Amino acid sequence: MIWEGLTPMAKIEVVVDGDQIPAVRDLFLEAGATGYTGVSGVSGFGHHGHHQGRLLFNDRASLSMLITVVPKDKVSSLVAGIRRLLEDRHGVFFVTETHVSRPDYFR
Amino acid sequence: MNDRERDLPLRAQPGHTSLLADVARAADIVAPMWPLTSFVAVNPLGGLQHLPFDEAAAAARRWLGARTHPTLAEYRAAHARGAITDADLRRAILEFDWRLTSPFTVEIGGQTVDAVELVRLDLLVGPDVPPEVAPGVGSLDAGSARPVDSLVAAWCGAYVDEAGVPWAMPGREHGFYRAWRRLAPHDRRLRRLAGRRGTGWLAQLPDRPVEALAIALAALGIDDSNRVDALRSQLGRLPGWASYAHWYDEWAPPDHHGPSFRLVDLLAVQAAATAAAAHARPGAPSPGGEGEPAQELLDERVDAVFSALGGSPDDPVVTSAVSGVLQQVPPAARNSIWLEAHEGNFRDRLLGLLSRLDPGMETDRPDVQAVFCIDVRSEGLRRHLEASGHYETLGFAGFFGVPMRWRPLGSPATQPRCPVLVTPRHEVAERPIPGDDPSRYLAAQRTTRSGHESFHAAKGGLASPFALAEAGGWIMGPLAAARTLAPSLVGRAARWARTRNGSPRPRTRPAIDADHDPAAGMALEERTLFADAIVTTMGLTRFARLIVLCGHGSLNVNNPHASSYDCGACGGAPGGASARTATAILNDPAVRTQLQNRGLTVPDDTWFVAAEHDTTSDAVTMLDRDAVPDSHEALVAQFERDVAVAGERLSSERARRLPGDPRKVRVRGHDWAQVRPEWGLAGNAAFVIGPRSITKELDLACRVFLHSYDADADRDGLALETILTAPLVVAQWISAQYYFSAVDPDVFGAGDKTLHNPVGGIGVVLGEGGDLQVGLPAQAVAVGERRVHDPLRLLAVVQAPLERTEAIIQRNKVLQELVGGKWITLVGRSHGHERWSIRNPAGTWSTWFPADDSVDHAEASLEVR
Repeated sequence: MIWEGLTPMAKIEVVVDGDQIPAVRDLFLEAGATGYTGVSGVSGFGHHGHHQGRLLFNDRASLSMLITVVPKDKVSSLVAGIRRLLEDRHGVFFVTETHVSRPDYFR
Repeated sequence: MNDRERDLPLRAQPGHTSLLADVARAADIVAPMWPLTSFVAVNPLGGLQHLPFDEAAAAARRWLGARTHPTLAEYRAAHARGAITDADLRRAILEFDWRLTSPFTVEIGGQTVDAVELVRLDLLVGPDVPPEVAPGVGSLDAGSARPVDSLVAAWCGAYVDEAGVPWAMPGREHGFYRAWRRLAPHDRRLRRLAGRRGTGWLAQLPDRPVEALAIALAALGIDDSNRVDALRSQLGRLPGWASYAHWYDEWAPPDHHGPSFRLVDLLAVQAAATAAAAHARPGAPSPGGEGEPAQELLDERVDAVFSALGGSPDDPVVTSAVSGVLQQVPPAARNSIWLEAHEGNFRDRLLGLLSRLDPGMETDRPDVQAVFCIDVRSEGLRRHLEASGHYETLGFAGFFGVPMRWRPLGSPATQPRCPVLVTPRHEVAERPIPGDDPSRYLAAQRTTRSGHESFHAAKGGLASPFALAEAGGWIMGPLAAARTLAPSLVGRAARWARTRNGSPRPRTRPAIDADHDPAAGMALEERTLFADAIVTTMGLTRFARLIVLCGHGSLNVNNPHASSYDCGACGGAPGGASARTATAILNDPAVRTQLQNRGLTVPDDTWFVAAEHDTTSDAVTMLDRDAVPDSHEALVAQFERDVAVAGERLSSERARRLPGDPRKVRVRGHDWAQVRPEWGLAGNAAFVIGPRSITKELDLACRVFLHSYDADADRDGLALETILTAPLVVAQWISAQYYFSAVDPDVFGAGDKTLHNPVGGIGVVLGEGGDLQVGLPAQAVAVGERRVHDPLRLLAVVQAPLERTEAIIQRNKVLQELVGGKWITLVGRSHGHERWSIRNPAGTWSTWFPADDSVDHAEASLEVR
């Protein structure tokens, strides 16, 4: 779908354990992402059962979601790294098409 | 140029995201190591916590060449002295494989024995297996890689060190790999290893560490399929520096002042140097991990069992049957069975003690409630304090629920004062009270600090140590002698000097109110939330007139590992500041009003006061003493007297466990030659979550973390979830740190303390260099060859409705891993009149029964045997 005035890009959302955040961040930067957004204390239900959200005195045990938007030519490199990282640990990621109004922010 | 040299590549294939992902995966093999200034006990195998304990241990044996259990000889010695009984062994064997209960028997040497007995004999007399040897790196065998490791370790030390060298390594601002790349071609030792052309190849490597790493791995013949293993192998060769780099990657705060030290940099340097060396002198890759042929070892085990029974393996049918039984127990599993048996012995003793009828909580109002850190050292002080008066004691994490960064008076820097699992969101500054002028005191502090800095700069300089010795030797020599021969005198003299220097410390308070101190503090709503969480989580349902929050710290000198004796819940710092901040919040009238609006009434006549327990002397110092109102003065004075007596009794108890002159137990911290100022948390083995009524009047020998919990006051289970996901997790890290430092002091421990040399303020090396030493010094867990820390995995004991405990486990992955992977054993009971049940890894609960019913565990001793 094309929206007038918006530029298509790829949005990648990664849900991982709190202690994997630095590794995912490194992958984003290596792939050429210019920024990301982090959401800590993510709760939900999935392959490994229920996941508690924010805990009172443990910021590392709950899941976090990191979101980045990159031009489509950077997706394959980033996806390769994330797939590799998640080969032997918990986590999921989603790639979707998105549209941005300021493409220069993401290149 | 010969063919091999021509083969060294200089271009990397694209796809560095995959390589970086592999670096992160490989890092699982080493735990992060915090700088020594804020020592944090960690599970050395924490990166492998997603695996069951036995699998993680096998990985550590493979990649680190480490021992993960006591040896069979050590277990047999424990069996001989009664620390593990035959009943413990039989139960552990059946838990390992219930099929061994089959009616199978054989006759050997005139005795009829069943399968369990055959395995028990194998455990007692069978041959041990040699430790595994860590594999080589790529095409470089383990022996040839050793000089490379030594060189890389030296570069690491030079890179991070600021204090111990006359000038810092140039280019540090660009990261380790780039700084090294600039200097490496000029290193003669490297040229000897790599040859001129190899060194030239190194000089042409790209500027980005990840690209250099990719090229070096290709040069070593490592491709995508074996890359994680190769990276693990490299990290396992310098686990100390790798652990520090792991900390830097995952945990270093944004304002960390030291040079960056990233895993990808370390690996790039290691791989590049290794590739250059391998190219110059290729060898056969080390087989690694290949022990004695399996059949040969099995035959020896069978022979040993026959011999123990007075028979010989003449009958092939019987021999085959015995062999078949022993084959069901792989060699490494024997140590796991011993560990289960040892843990079972301790579990029986503790649960036997805790199985007496719970008298329930007292309902009348105590004179004083004293809240101590959950640290095992608090257990002794609590026990002796309760024996001296009408005191109720509670246990709570020593940061008292306030995750903050603390800014001491006049300090330009702040320090985190909370468990490392929590990100401190507030800064609290220490401010003088109105009317007290701090300027003279701060000026004197600055003078003292610059004197210290000048002294240490002169000590670390190239030529200045000679001048320093000339100028200051007349006083430093006698002072050194006095610190060794009369440590208590030096301690008293230092305290006297501090009070007589004409600049007494001003009275101060933690600035908790953001309205009054915009640079620090918290809003009223946040203070109220903290107060609510503190009261609820510690199960405080009634309030004495005086409530003491007692943190702890450890005063000891000339000890790079000093912070390891401080409060782990305060991030390896003394707990006094946290206790002061929490009491300030709980005494705040505005907070009390807000709490009342939320339905939580703290009586008007209740006053909170802070204190700090020095665990080397067992002296307890009241903090902000001048703030105590007249109405509570008598109670505080009485508490001071009683806790002083309790401290003396605890010191006497500790003196029995420590080597050396028992009369000097309270001044060991002042002795700068003392390698063992106290035992710290050595001996820790269990974590009890429940009301004090289930442990009161029991001597738990300073081996048990005690967290107060009242299930009836926690209907939604939030307090229990907080305790299980935070204090229990920290306690497991501590337990695992002690466990592995005890079983392999060389790989997981910091080795001999007398050989330690601090490096860059982050760690120690043995002697003049080498790998950074992780974990605890040998003297923290043993006296010579005698181990004083029983290597046991943590036993968690929870008194709360089982369905509540189970639901919390089910929704928290960290608990699923810890309990399901057998990193800890969890037992529970719903209330004080129920038998304890063991939570099995598969998620079921089994009623606990002791291995030997004939033993009365109600009077058991928990002392380390």
